Amino acid sequence: MFRHVGKGVTRLDGDEKVRGITQYADDLPIPDCWYGVVVRSPVMKGRLTSLEFDPAFDFDRVCVVTPGDIPGENVVDMMGRDMPFIAHDRIQYRGEPVALVAAPTRRLAREAAACIRPVIEEEPAIQTIREVVDTYKKSPDRLEKLSGQTIRKGSIEAGFADADIVVEREYWSGHQEQLYIEPQGMVAIPEKDGGVFLQGSLQCPYYVGPELVITLGLPLEKIRVKQSAVGGAFGGKEEFPTLVAGYCALLAMKSGKPVKIIYDRHQDILYTTKRHPSWSRQRTGLKKDGTITAMAVDFILDGGAYTTLSPVVLYRGILHTTLGYRCPHVSVDGHVFRTNTFPNGAFRGFGAPQAIWALESHMDECAEALGMSPVAFRRKNCLHIGDTTGTGQVIEQNMDPPVILERTLEKADFENKRRQSTRGVPVNGVYRGIGLCFFGHGSGFTGDGERRLRSKAALDLEYDDHGKPVVNIRISSTEMGQGTLTIMPQIAADGLRTSMDHVRCPLPDTKFVPDSGPTVASRTAMVVGSTVYGAAELLRHDLEVFASETLFGGARVELDDDRFTSAVTGDSRPFIEVAEAFLKIRGPHRVYNQFKLPDTIKWNQETFEGDSYPSYSWGCNIAEVEIDTLTCELKVRRVTGIFDIGRLINPVLAKGQIEGGLTQALGYAVMEKMNIVDGLYDASRMQTYVIPTALDTPEYDLGFLEYPYTHASPGAKGVGEIPMDGLAPAIANAVKDAMGIRFNSIPITPEMIFEAIRAKESAA
Amino acid sequence: MSTSPRIQRTWIINGETREVAFAPVRRLLDVLREDLHMTGTKEGCGEGECGACTVLIDGRTVVSCLMAAGQVPDGAEIMTVEGLERTEGGRLLQQMYVEKGAAQCGFCIPGMIISSYALLSRGEAVSRDAVRESHAGNICRCTGYEKIFEAVEAAAEQWPREETPASS
Ligand code: FES
Ligand code: FES
Repeated sequence: MFRHVGKGVTRLDGDEKVRGITQYADDLPIPDCWYGVVVRSPVMKGRLTSLEFDPAFDFDRVCVVTPGDIPGENVVDMMGRDMPFIAHDRIQYRGEPVALVAAPTRRLAREAAACIRPVIEEEPAIQTIREVVDTYKKSPDRLEKLSGQTIRKGSIEAGFADADIVVEREYWSGHQEQLYIEPQGMVAIPEKDGGVFLQGSLQCPYYVGPELVITLGLPLEKIRVKQSAVGGAFGGKEEFPTLVAGYCALLAMKSGKPVKIIYDRHQDILYTTKRHPSWSRQRTGLKKDGTITAMAVDFILDGGAYTTLSPVVLYRGILHTTLGYRCPHVSVDGHVFRTNTFPNGAFRGFGAPQAIWALESHMDECAEALGMSPVAFRRKNCLHIGDTTGTGQVIEQNMDPPVILERTLEKADFENKRRQSTRGVPVNGVYRGIGLCFFGHGSGFTGDGERRLRSKAALDLEYDDHGKPVVNIRISSTEMGQGTLTIMPQIAADGLRTSMDHVRCPLPDTKFVPDSGPTVASRTAMVVGSTVYGAAELLRHDLEVFASETLFGGARVELDDDRFTSAVTGDSRPFIEVAEAFLKIRGPHRVYNQFKLPDTIKWNQETFEGDSYPSYSWGCNIAEVEIDTLTCELKVRRVTGIFDIGRLINPVLAKGQIEGGLTQALGYAVMEKMNIVDGLYDASRMQTYVIPTALDTPEYDLGFLEYPYTHASPGAKGVGEIPMDGLAPAIANAVKDAMGIRFNSIPITPEMIFEAIRAKESAA
Repeated sequence: MSTSPRIQRTWIINGETREVAFAPVRRLLDVLREDLHMTGTKEGCGEGECGACTVLIDGRTVVSCLMAAGQVPDGAEIMTVEGLERTEGGRLLQQMYVEKGAAQCGFCIPGMIISSYALLSRGEAVSRDAVRESHAGNICRCTGYEKIFEAVEAAAEQWPREETPASS
């Protein structure tokens, strides 16, 4: 029985946020703080031969860090270990760091940076996914591969031999900037023991320390990382803050001063990670009755200049390229290739939005090739309980994809509205159409990642600052707007069976919290939430035993609804009284718990066979669009969506996640565009990189279906990423329905619509 | 250190008279954040696009990142997010923002809620379109704006009658 879980409890950090007293990285008062800046390569690719220091500048007033100053190894210790912290020889992208500078003022630091000039012998570079794919089709050996992975099920040849027709199409997607409104920010404070204390805007406190150990040459316990309030992240503060933290730490260790780096917006867009541009070739074998017999997919990501997290993005991508459909013969080939651009990285959805964009556009294309409606085609092929996915995972009771599809169709009145679509013939200068997308998103780490990590959570029963007993939740999961600080106390209070008043979730500091894993992969509510719930049950047990022995004369005691009660004696005491007695007699008390992935979940990381995720969330989105033939403006009028994200911990916060995620997906689909020009993004300011404003959002009609995660309480699945997954293809499908024109690349901009209308007119 | 002439001003910030002196090229945003240590107002872009730095000057919204502090005349009344709770309407808006879940990461909120206050204190009836229009200069990447609209509309229903901006 849940008392707090399932309620729309208001955010615990809401009050301080609306009063403007929350402290983000740039708000922290740090006395005697220096400012850091990065000196960057002006060319995309080449050999760095030397650094020239302008003799007219007095470098004694500032602190300069070059590769020779790095105490440990000059390498960023992420998956590939191919990226140097500061370039010392090869340049792989424009903007690559060649030196770091800190000074007492921002202005002086910038002046100094401008007086350091890298000397580089330039070499030809590769910039775009278009170039990558051209080369891939002709001579793939000439590409530099950063990562690759395949999925095989059945026999793809047999699948195509079974088919009556084969539909093959290609789909493209571009860069997308996270555009959290708070730019990247970090401060490093040198500690007396030679260590360093890092505080800043980040998603994953336990990435930073372990990743910096070999660079800083410090033992892990001397790198303390604390999260400051985060003004949005969306993946953009997953792996990237390790770099800013490293820059600050190197400067702080050399200068002996606290050093802070706050990116301005222009720098933040130019020199931070983006969503990977993608290319998919979907080739599908079909029977005349609509049955899918074979799905073959090539999936390519533009990794940018270094490996960083791209392999994991690729894994999630290929696992979603066929997800949702029944097919006996599957073959997926995934690659990440290098371009000489800023390394691409984590962004909400993490490969899945690219995969689903292609898959769900393609499912409409398949339906059309067969002369079937998109609904009938999906009804025929979508996964039912007992079916298997591309990796052979059996769809279990705790998810029921077809129900989501049916309910959403009903809610949007899809079939009726579709009969009124313009189908290529505008009415009063307007095209109107409706489009559908059905999709799943794996919750938690891929495969058995959660088994390897064994996420930890602790609860501390201790005194708060006012000397009152409090239960502090100690996890490394971060609050970045999504509501961790609120849902965790809801969950813990239900595990304890107390009111929420006694429970807090402070921002993580690696000095106090165990490693619960990173705040990514739609895993926080499901994995860390259930670990916290388990820890709360353990603490309740300890307190019940204590109460029984100390206060109830040995009688069996139960804690429920904030009171300890003995059914035998009828005695009852409030939680707070027992907690106070416990603290007085025994002192502060900590309980630990670890996440346990059920043994039934089996995964082969080599062959990509088995249970690719512990569970899936499912969703269906329906978009209604209008295109003005005069202005070529594409307006998304209405979006209907139903999501199964497992047990709803907090319906208000969950809905907020969905609305926000859908709005980012809207930007991805029709607005947010960047090209690479001379190695840099051409849209590098908020004036040119345009995201949805209050004038752009559609009417949202949203709902939930709850099929809880069955392996652990309280049974949430993932919510963070799934709203990013499905809207782009739903919109492209609606545009096709309206105009009779298929766009196979996003964003679908007014320029593209203009070109398409012109081409259609000149053909007519 | 150069001793360029400093500009002196007396402003009424959130109801309090404050004397400030600053170099001519400083932005209002920097004077608020760095000199007055009022860090509630945020910098999201520094180029007038995101609205996180929005404040009220004599009842009108301005983006403080584009305003030279020297442009703000003596005697001007400035209201920032920190001053909202001094007014009944401000407290109501804060309450509705929290209740409806309008703040997620919270970084856009100091500017957003100032725009809400400016809209509601005009005392006109608000439609959804008017709410959209009046918040179009405040970018939020978290919420998709839905809950912000709901909060503003809920506050509009109970808006105190006599709450109008200091002048205008
Ligand atoms: S910081 Fe002023 S508008 Fe963005
Ligand atoms: S709440 Fe995060 S930007 Fe608006």
